[in-house]
Amino acid sequence: MGDALLIVLLGLPMTLLVTVLSFTIGVIGGIPLMLGLRSRTRWVRLTCRFAVDLIRGVPPIVWLFLLYFGVSFGAIRLDSLNAAVWGLGIISSAYLAEIYRGAFATLPSGQAEASAALGLGGTVTLTRILAPQALRTALPSIATYLLSLLKDSSIASTIGVADMVFNATMFARQNPATAGIVPFFIAAAVYLVISIPVAVTARRLDTRLRRTA
Amino acid sequence: MDSLIDLSEYLPRLGQGLVVSLQLTALSVVFGYLIGLVFALGVSSRQPWLKWPALVAVEIGRGIPALVVLYIVYFGLPALGVLFENFWAAVIGLTFTAAAYSSEMIRAGIQSVPAGQREASAALGLSRTTSFVRIVLPQGLRSSIPPLMGLAIMSFQGTSLAYSISVNELMSQAYQVSTITFQYLAVYTITGLIYAAIAVPATWLSVWVEHRMARGAV
Amino acid sequence: MNVPLITEATELAIAGVQISNLSKRFGDHLVLDDISMNVKPGSVTALIGPSGSGKSTLLRCVNLLETPDGGSITVGSQTIRAGDRVKDRELLTLRRQVGMVFQSFNLFPHFTVLRNVAFPQEKILGRSREEAEARARVLLERVGLADKADQHPGKCSGGQQQRIAIVRALALNPRVMLFDEPTSALDPEVGVEVLTVMRELADAGMTMIVVTHEMQFARDVSDHLVVMADGHIIEEGDPAEIMADPREERTRRFLNAVLER
Repeated sequence: MGDALLIVLLGLPMTLLVTVLSFTIGVIGGIPLMLGLRSRTRWVRLTCRFAVDLIRGVPPIVWLFLLYFGVSFGAIRLDSLNAAVWGLGIISSAYLAEIYRGAFATLPSGQAEASAALGLGGTVTLTRILAPQALRTALPSIATYLLSLLKDSSIASTIGVADMVFNATMFARQNPATAGIVPFFIAAAVYLVISIPVAVTARRLDTRLRRTA
Repeated sequence: MDSLIDLSEYLPRLGQGLVVSLQLTALSVVFGYLIGLVFALGVSSRQPWLKWPALVAVEIGRGIPALVVLYIVYFGLPALGVLFENFWAAVIGLTFTAAAYSSEMIRAGIQSVPAGQREASAALGLSRTTSFVRIVLPQGLRSSIPPLMGLAIMSFQGTSLAYSISVNELMSQAYQVSTITFQYLAVYTITGLIYAAIAVPATWLSVWVEHRMARGAV
Repeated sequence: MNVPLITEATELAIAGVQISNLSKRFGDHLVLDDISMNVKPGSVTALIGPSGSGKSTLLRCVNLLETPDGGSITVGSQTIRAGDRVKDRELLTLRRQVGMVFQSFNLFPHFTVLRNVAFPQEKILGRSREEAEARARVLLERVGLADKADQHPGKCSGGQQQRIAIVRALALNPRVMLFDEPTSALDPEVGVEVLTVMRELADAGMTMIVVTHEMQFARDVSDHLVVMADGHIIEEGDPAEIMADPREERTRRFLNAVLER
């Protein structure tokens, strides 16, 4: 049990690293995608819509395998960590772009109108008036997404990233008869221990935001 | 061009994998949603001995990665002396995950039924069971349809994880074909497009259903 | 100390509004049918009529929150014709001269009251933060809301929010002020606070176009009454005369229904 615990915990930093890096890529990458989704130019809007739907329509494991095995420019190939982080990062951009877009859509139209009527230009309206309000609305959904990304980071284990699940699988394969299941229970427990506080905070944020709305 | 012609020989294998993926999806969605309904009722119950087990099951099912659930079923049950064929181990794992997520959606749907419905039923003199089963539950389930449709699509994509426990679904077939042909980029691109060809139109359909339901047309 | 609601510079710059042959369609529905109207500088025009008559749409065409399909609008010396490709610069110039007050106030909830009034000044008039906030405090004081400056709009009542909205628009020294049913979302007693400020603004000489259901305000404060129905102006002229003895049957019916409430 002690061995299993140690081995699984050794994978925790990698689990967190993959999660945080791909989340960061997603948070940033989601912004241009969201702007494209809200664009007034039809072809931009449709292209972004198609891109987001396509990205979300392919399972994460396929994306990761595609990037890890399939991407090679001459001598350059993505190592497993990069493939995982960029793969999950691109997927996150698509999901977060949708979350951002949804948040903007729930803003009362009077806000954009008042800003326009005052004569505040488009950029100022977006960045100083609409975005701060949209962000507040989007925060619970973003937190929920972060949690699901934490779980999806486990898929990186399938291309060899040494996260908790990878380590657990290695241990289980080496000790099948005796304690195959133990490392997975430990990994499960760690996921729960990390995610439950975040989930509770997200739920509280959501209730508090509903009240002040 | 040779390589692409080679590939077309292997497309039937991908097709077979897709069939298995669809079977996994259908089984895990049907059983998962039924169990999810049971969990939802359990969590909503006021009896602690019904509520707490259901709540724990749901939080675990939603809190741990689906991949870990699959590994636990795959590695864990043999250790307990229970032997499942890989396919059925995957069905069990995917069903559990689907049950946990669907239970929250169903519970939210039930809660969204306006209190006035319950009050009206009570005022009419309908028993609590009849009120619930014939008035509240149907409306609650109806509200849950859009998110449940989305979950079914996610379950379809989730079957790709069964690769890791050696089930011969689409992703596994893709891996095998890619190692035989070395056409990694092409194989995984085609595989991705196959998944997308089903998931994307299905998503558009569920959005359309959601809009029509919101307008009261369905 | 009676601080003026509008500065001397604004007084000199007060503009008039001309609406010529304006038309607007929403889908198949013709909401505005060949409307022409002249608003003299410094005058107060009340726009009344049944719901769906097009009065709000007409008002919103003046600052191009709605784009007309035909005709033109002129604010001061700037004319915009339907079908023109309006450059962003022209649009901003127009909107910076026209102030608008909305039925639902539309204050920015994530700014304090002070920032709501100061921020547009900084961005549009280029005032420094100190200047903008000082002017904001003066105006808030003038409408009796100096103590709300550092609170968020959510903590203020509807009547207070609307007065803040008026001040937010006034801080930009507009040449024309548009009011779109400013008191419709407020209880009658609370509406009085807002109507009082609007009255003072009218006395100070601002050009105002007010879409309203407040008949007393229309009769007592406005110089010109415009009655609309089904996208047309059916009657216009002196408020007291029209209300006492309307020429059109439609006007009579509308006034009877409204005054009976």
